[in-house]
Amino acid sequence: MASVLSSLRYLFADFIGEDDGAPPFLPDGLPDGTASVVSDGIHLLMDYQGAGYATLYVERLRRFIGRPGIDAAMFSDIAQLMAARMSYEDPIRIAQLKLMEIESGNGDASIDDVRKFRLDELIGALPEIAADPMLYVLDTMGWLHKRLSIRFSTRSRWGLRRLKLEAALRRWRLFSVRYNEERAWVERWLHMISRCLVKQPQSTAAIVETATMVRGYGDAYRHGLADWHAIIDGLAKPTFDGVLPLDDLAGAVREARHAAMLDPRQAALKRAIAQIRARAIGAGANAAGG
Amino acid sequence: MDTSHLAEHAGAAGSFFASIFVVATLSMRTMIPLRVFAILTNIVLIATAIPIHNYPTLVLHAVLLPLNTYRLHQMLQLVRDVKKSVSSDLSMEWLKPFMTERKCREGEALFYKDEKAESMYYIVSGRFRLVESGIELPVGAIVGELGMLSPSNVRTQTLECVEAGVILSVSYDQVEQLYVQNPAFGFYFLRLASARLFQNIDTLEKRLAQQIATAAATPKPA
Repeated sequence: MASVLSSLRYLFADFIGEDDGAPPFLPDGLPDGTASVVSDGIHLLMDYQGAGYATLYVERLRRFIGRPGIDAAMFSDIAQLMAARMSYEDPIRIAQLKLMEIESGNGDASIDDVRKFRLDELIGALPEIAADPMLYVLDTMGWLHKRLSIRFSTRSRWGLRRLKLEAALRRWRLFSVRYNEERAWVERWLHMISRCLVKQPQSTAAIVETATMVRGYGDAYRHGLADWHAIIDGLAKPTFDGVLPLDDLAGAVREARHAAMLDPRQAALKRAIAQIRARAIGAGANAAGG
Repeated sequence: MDTSHLAEHAGAAGSFFASIFVVATLSMRTMIPLRVFAILTNIVLIATAIPIHNYPTLVLHAVLLPLNTYRLHQMLQLVRDVKKSVSSDLSMEWLKPFMTERKCREGEALFYKDEKAESMYYIVSGRFRLVESGIELPVGAIVGELGMLSPSNVRTQTLECVEAGVILSVSYDQVEQLYVQNPAFGFYFLRLASARLFQNIDTLEKRLAQQIATAAATPKPA
């Protein structure tokens, strides 16, 4: 009977989600004092998605175990920030958190929370096959960035039922448009850390820290993401590619982040990046000229 | 002369034969014989539906017959192309009909080093560069075909789009499906992958020999 059920589960895996199995073990060779952070990350991602997703987290962390230039503090930061980014806040996550609050008994029994999402953010939480045509239609109508208020409420039976339905969408989360974007972001961040370790190890901590720029949901998330890409495309990547002679990447990143905080419309950030680049190219030309 | 009883007998006999073919179709383990028996079932059911004027069945199987024939043709062509590729240029162009087109922007990374590998790519246009080695891949190159068979299943380099272009992609799951459905394809695919692997080893050996020869020819400083 168990084997029949297992075969049926495999057959319908695309619809009911993977049979995730056992949680992953802590990887061997972790730097001293980081086991608890990694363990927290694993538990967070088990709650967030499942054992398979937590295994992906462990596999990503393994890339930095024993790597020269990575000390315990930096490894701990990578583990913490990656777990936070992998448990990104989509409407499914917010519904999960509300249900957890009720189950733990810590929260108010009658939660009534209204959050504003962009339409593309909401649709993006659905599986790609359903989301793509909807996003295309919304884009044609010019409604893609329209904001919508979503109520997360447990005041009525219907509200609670709706929360459970939204939380149940996690089975399809890994097929969603948003997941693909998040996967690409995490991989790019890890790739930048790796390249920084090779090209400018003293600036690696600053690159690791940039993950704190991308947080939350809605407009705050979009701004953080756009700023992060602007800094990486304008400063970090050209430095690693060898086309921008920037000796102090960490200082430049800090300067650009400060400019990003002052102006959410990116004008100050773009100006700051242009200035840093001009300074670096000028200094590079002077050094070459002797 | 009343021929209705003849049509009735033909209908009953046809239904009986069709039932045998349906059972035979469903008992097939792999795709090619399954399609062959499905085509035979379609033909028998069309032939049976005509004398007894069973038009819904006639229409259904008239639609299924070309569909089954097309799929069988696709499968046979795939096996033939893979087989041909093994004995000629080791190209993987035969995968193109199963691939999905995707546009790439300049600066976009298709995949990153150490990332879990899930699909292979065929470069149609544009310029693509392997970041770590700095190698630029030509149009027509296949990337990531060995990742499917490697035990670690991770990317060994980062692939970046240097100039906007188009690529075709196919997921390992899709190739696995072709592999499982069709043992002949699976066999030739393995031979092809091994041949490409040996070709890579051969290229590396030649490069190493060249480097050793260059080092030996360079005069040592006094």
